[in-house]
This record gives sequence, C-alpha cells and structure tokens, in this order.
Amino acid sequence: MASSTAPSPQSTSGAQPGDTLSAVLELAVCSQGLEKIFPNGFQALRKVDLAVGKGEVVVIMGPSGSGKSTLIRTFNGLETIQGGHLEVLGYHLDADNSQKVVSKIRRHVGMVFQSFNLFPHLSILENVTLAPIWVQKRDRQTVKKDALALLDHVGIREQAHKYPSQLSGGQQQRVAIARALALSPQLMLFDEPTSALDPEKVKEVLETIRALAAEGMTMVVVTHEVGFAREVADRVVFMDEGMIVEEASPQTFFTDPKEERSQLFLSRIL
Amino acid sequence: MVESPRSGSWSRQLLLRIRRGLFASPLDTLITVVLVVVCGGGLWNLLHWAVLQADWAVVLENVRLYFNGNFPVSQIWRSWSWLGLLAALCILTLMPSKVVPPAVVRLLPLLWVLILPIGLLLLASGLGLEPVKSRFWGGLQLSLLLTLGTILMALPLGILMALARRSELPLLRWLTTGYIELMRGMPLIAVLFFGQLMIPLFLPEGWTLNRVLRAVVSLGFFMAAYMAEDVRGGLQSIPKTQLEAARSLGLSPLLTVALVELPQALRTALPALANQCVASLQNTSLLAYLGLIELLGISRSILANPDYLGHHLEVYIWLALLYWAVCILMTSLAHRVERTLNVTGHH
Repeated sequence: MASSTAPSPQSTSGAQPGDTLSAVLELAVCSQGLEKIFPNGFQALRKVDLAVGKGEVVVIMGPSGSGKSTLIRTFNGLETIQGGHLEVLGYHLDADNSQKVVSKIRRHVGMVFQSFNLFPHLSILENVTLAPIWVQKRDRQTVKKDALALLDHVGIREQAHKYPSQLSGGQQQRVAIARALALSPQLMLFDEPTSALDPEKVKEVLETIRALAAEGMTMVVVTHEVGFAREVADRVVFMDEGMIVEEASPQTFFTDPKEERSQLFLSRIL
Repeated sequence: MVESPRSGSWSRQLLLRIRRGLFASPLDTLITVVLVVVCGGGLWNLLHWAVLQADWAVVLENVRLYFNGNFPVSQIWRSWSWLGLLAALCILTLMPSKVVPPAVVRLLPLLWVLILPIGLLLLASGLGLEPVKSRFWGGLQLSLLLTLGTILMALPLGILMALARRSELPLLRWLTTGYIELMRGMPLIAVLFFGQLMIPLFLPEGWTLNRVLRAVVSLGFFMAAYMAEDVRGGLQSIPKTQLEAARSLGLSPLLTVALVELPQALRTALPALANQCVASLQNTSLLAYLGLIELLGISRSILANPDYLGHHLEVYIWLALLYWAVCILMTSLAHRVERTLNVTGHH
C-alpha cells in the first residue's frame, strides 16, 4: 500500500526536481523557521525546524496547546503559515498558499483526525470511495473494489454498507484511516487519532497504524500514547509553547531526556 | 386491583385503559368532561347544520369548476389527466419502500420536476393539442400548478442564495443579504401586486409573460428568501470538522459544497422547507385578489352567482376541507422524504 516512489515535483512553479533540498535529502517534509500566527494574534508556532525522511515514522508529543496539531495541519495546508519555509513532498507552501499547490499536496497526503470526521450522510463504502471517484476521477468499479480491499485490511469489510453512526468509535477511526489511504498517499498525518476513543478501543486503532508503519508508510503522528511511540516511532519530537524542545530516538527520549521541560512532561505522563 | 395488561377480556381491558387514560384523577375527570362538552357540543351543532340545514347544491353542482376552473369542456380530459398524473405520483411516492423497486425510487425526484412541464404542455398546448389560454385555467388545478411552480423555482434559488449569503465576495454577500431581508420585510400581497405590475416593465421590448407565470415568479422570489434562510440554518449546523475532512481529501470548494455540505444541510432543513412548501399552497389563495381564478377565486365567482346566494358557509367549509386534504397530502409526502433520507443517513 505504501508507495515508495519518489514524488514528482516537476509541477511546482519554477523549481526543478533536483533543486529542492527535500529531493536531495529524500525528505517528505522539510520545514525551516516555520511561523504560525492566528488572526487573533496568538503565535502557535515559533521558528519550527523539522525534517521527516521518506519512510520515517515521527511521533510528536507535548502538552496541549503546544502547537503539535497546528504543525501537522500546516503540512496539508489546513493552516496557512505566516513565515518560514515549508516543503511537503517537493511542493513549496508559503504564506499565500496557492489553491493549486495545496490541492496537489492534499492528493498525496492523508490525514486522520481526533474526531474521525466521517461523512454521516454517506455509507462506510461511500466515505472511502468519495475522493478517489471525485478527486482522482477513477473508474467507479475499480475504486469500489480497492475500497473493499482497504476496508478488509482494516477489518471493517462486513460493515461496508452501514452508516458511520452505526459503528463504534474504534471502527469509525479505522474507516477514517481507510478513507485517507484510498488516495494512495505518500505521507500520512495522524492528529491524536486515539484521544477521542474509549480505552478498550485504542488498541485496535493503534494496531492498524502500527501495521501501516510496518509497510513503510511515511507518517507523522501526534499522540499521547507512550507505548505506541516507544515501539513504532523512529524519532520522537517534543514540543512546548510552539517550539521544538527536543528531538531524539524513542529509547533516548523516554529513558534519558535532555531538556528540563521534557523531563517535567514525562514525569507527569509516565 | 392488580392491573395486568393480559388479564380479563378485551372489553375489560378497554374499560381499564379508558379509566386510566381519561379519569385517573378528579382533575383528569374534570378536564375530560369539559372537553367532551365543549367539543362534542360544537361538533353536534356542526353536524346538525351540515345534514339538516345546509344546501350542498352549491358544491355538488360545481365540482368541475372547483377542480378544473373554466377549462373548456371539450378539452377537460387534459385537466383531469394532469390531476390524475399528479395523484398517481403522490401514491407512488407514498407507497412503502418495500413495494417500489429502488430504480423507481431513484427516479421519483426527476418525475416530480417533470410533472410541472408535463402539466404546462397538457394545459396550454403542445403535442398537437388545441391551445388553451391561461385565463381559462382555474380551480384546484391552477392552485396546484402555482404551488408546484413556486416550489420548483424557490428551492434552487433559495439554495443558491443561502450559498451566496456566506460567499467570500462581499458584493455578492451584501446583495443577497439585502434581498433576503427586503423580501422578508414585505407582505406577500404587496410582492404579488408589484410582480403583476412591474415584471412587464423589466422584460425586453416585445416580451410578455402571462399572469400565471408572473404570479409564479413573484411567489417564487418571495418563497426563495424564506427557503434561503432555512438552508442557511442547515449549512450552519454542519461542524467545521466536516469541511476540514473534505478539504484534506482534496475535494475542491465546489465539490465540498455539492457532496458534503448541501446533502447534510438539506437534511437538517427538510422539516422547515416542507413547512414552506405547505405555506406556498396557502399563499396561492392570495392570487384570488389579483384576478386569478384559482381555488379561492373560482369559489368567489361561484358565490357571485345569484342562484347560490347566501351559501357562503357551505362553500368555505368545502374549501377548508379541500385545502386541508392537500396540506395533509403534502405533509405526508414530506414525512416520506424525511424517512427515506433517514434510513440511508444518520440517526
């Protein structure tokens, strides 16, 4: 499922594929000095530098309000940026996100939300086939076949003709993952995917994400699940007050954090 | 006494149920007695009048006029067949979903849109039929034609205005908001008079629009303002997260509106929109005062006949029954749509 082919940045304005820093370094995401200031003046991101390599699983942790979600929402243009440099899959995003670039990025980046955000008026199957049919304009029958295979993969095939409200939270989140995967993304963003779930449903969703990581999918996951981060992450990024405080391998971060703020955070959640 | 619902004969159970439902306490008994005396008395008097005193000739002798207006008698089959088609479509829509094949159910919205042009063709001319001027259209047939025309014009216009009202283009937003507020601030009768007098002024030289169409256009523009507000309410009830999900899947703004927002907004707005549709029927009766002989208009002209002098009450009771029947029909159609959507939707 995970596509390891290099993205084709030819279509970005001006830049040649070889020119971009991310293409040279095989990066999926590359941000330098990223700034996000909300219209009300609140600065959510302060000079964030972050690079995510292809095939890498990066887990972002931090207290609420630290800018974790805002950061990954800039990666698919759900939030505009006010300063700095951001490159996603070879496409440049800047302060005035052009609709064209953003829509290109969104075709290659899947996103999974805390509250699932399935479309309540569509069946499970229709939720998954909507974007392939209307955005990629692919053939309905093939899309349907692929969607059923994806639903099978996340263990929801039997429920394909039910509606979201008839499913449990864990099942809904797995459908949301299948929906994002239906566009064959090169990068998956997870925004606290298990925070809205009952404790006993957390595991089934984490299992699905873990399986995806094992297939080599590039992922950025915002989560509070320490066990998951420890096992699946290639790298843990700790954020506080809109800044990256510490970046380390999970072993180092959870056993021997360098920064005082990381230590304080870990002492509270572990 | 232990009141087990399964004990005793059915008559005993019925008695028990009546006692529990209507005479459980002294206050309940009092309310029951007062209501029975007041309503029963009224009903008795009405029945007494209707059976013994009323002269229903004014209704019975003019059935054709109430339903078809002054439609030429030689062509009357056209009027009846349109009413028949409409009735058949209502029955088809109201049939239990198990009986009707899904392919037909999917066709229903199209049929409801097509029934209007079919009606116009049948009533006016076309298909090699003899032309019948619109001033010969009347009665219930005209009322229904006006209602259908109004709804089919107001609904799409209302949806467009609801979308325009939250547009990012300020001029479009201000104009729509201004229009909606203006329309909602005017009495319908004034709008209808304006429509009859002013629409001809706006048309290009040499164009004419007959009175029926002018009425539909005025009613449609008026109802659209109300429907726009209902749809806007539906749009506002959609959580922002739905839009984010649609955007992150790469759906364009237009596709987001068409595939994610409107289907949900219309479902939410459906009860309010159905209410506007019923109101549209009632509103057509105002056109009696602009010289259209729709159901109320034709009744007024029947009452003007010296033969039926003093039989107002019979006619208005008959009218009330007719309007009521059509309203009940419209309400059950709306419930039907609601149920169909909810089976395939949330809740």
